[in-house]
Amino acid sequence: MANEGGIQATIEASPDEIYDIELEHSLLEANEKLAKENRALLDQHGTTAIDFMGAIGSGKTTLIAKLVEKLKDKMGVAVFNGDATTSNDADAIAKQNVPVVQIATINGCHLDANLVGKGLRKIDIDKVKLLFIENIGNLICPAEFPLGSKARVVVVSVTEGPWMVRKHPHMFLGAQLVVINKIDMAKAMEVSVEDLASDVHKLKPDIKVIPTSCKTGEGIEKVAAALLAV
Amino acid sequence: MHEFSIAASLVEKLSEFVRENPDKRICEVRLEIGELSHIEHDQLHFCYESITKETPLEGSSLKIDKVEAFVECPHCSYRGRPKYWDDILAGAPVVTFQCPSCGKTVGETQGKECAIKSVKFSQIQPVPS
Repeated sequence: MANEGGIQATIEASPDEIYDIELEHSLLEANEKLAKENRALLDQHGTTAIDFMGAIGSGKTTLIAKLVEKLKDKMGVAVFNGDATTSNDADAIAKQNVPVVQIATINGCHLDANLVGKGLRKIDIDKVKLLFIENIGNLICPAEFPLGSKARVVVVSVTEGPWMVRKHPHMFLGAQLVVINKIDMAKAMEVSVEDLASDVHKLKPDIKVIPTSCKTGEGIEKVAAALLAV
Repeated sequence: MHEFSIAASLVEKLSEFVRENPDKRICEVRLEIGELSHIEHDQLHFCYESITKETPLEGSSLKIDKVEAFVECPHCSYRGRPKYWDDILAGAPVVTFQCPSCGKTVGETQGKECAIKSVKFSQIQPVPS
């Protein structure tokens, strides 16, 4: 056969010709690196970011709105609202005249450090002492993606039923504070706030659990105090 | 469905390897996934197969090694496997951060891994003339 140069064919290696290399590479590294950068930027400006996670309808937005109302005259506050499609939540908070950034993930099921980093470039961070980040209403994915916040809060509500905590245990292991919301509905729902709190403590015995009602205002003061202490 | 983001990040890293080593063909990639990560193995396999279709990575096999969780207690110095919540409805036992020894809160020392451990490849060789 005439040799005309170049590759004539490829030959597959037999099993004894297969090579193996160690390639230690974290697949979550990119997000973790950006989360650290976010955190460094926040620390540099003396800003504390708190990430709120919980199901759709658990009351994350209303709770944040109540906290903003309570704290905005005492210090600079800002809010990032993560939402797949709507700006309903951002609009609700913006009425209080504080800086709000709407983070639309479109098809994404969680906020990531990159999106939060982009948000940080949109606000005058020097004027913000406390930043509330509302994650997407999803109880699994956000746990895997740190954002650079100083504390993560899980909001569960009694309207989600009695098994909420044990059905989504992972979310609580990475949290620093748990809020059990809508306690004014507990009786109607026949859900025990104490049982929910006891489930949380089975997972993480020392974690602070605060029962709240955004309707009556019960517990909001305690949540504000806990967040200022992180 | 964060498995898709993880599979995409995996394929991106492997494609980088393929670009830098055009004479090699990846036949197997081995991952280490920690017990404390929230990654569904079957979904990750499905995503990997879907993304690699009609690419140089098509047909390569994805192997997942599970890394057990280990915890450490700052209160009583316990070090070892975590306590499990065994009677949790019908699901699989769930890892808790309750110290098996003193009952206070522990921290994890192992089990959050989500990394490419190794890659197996074969050499594509030109035919000797």
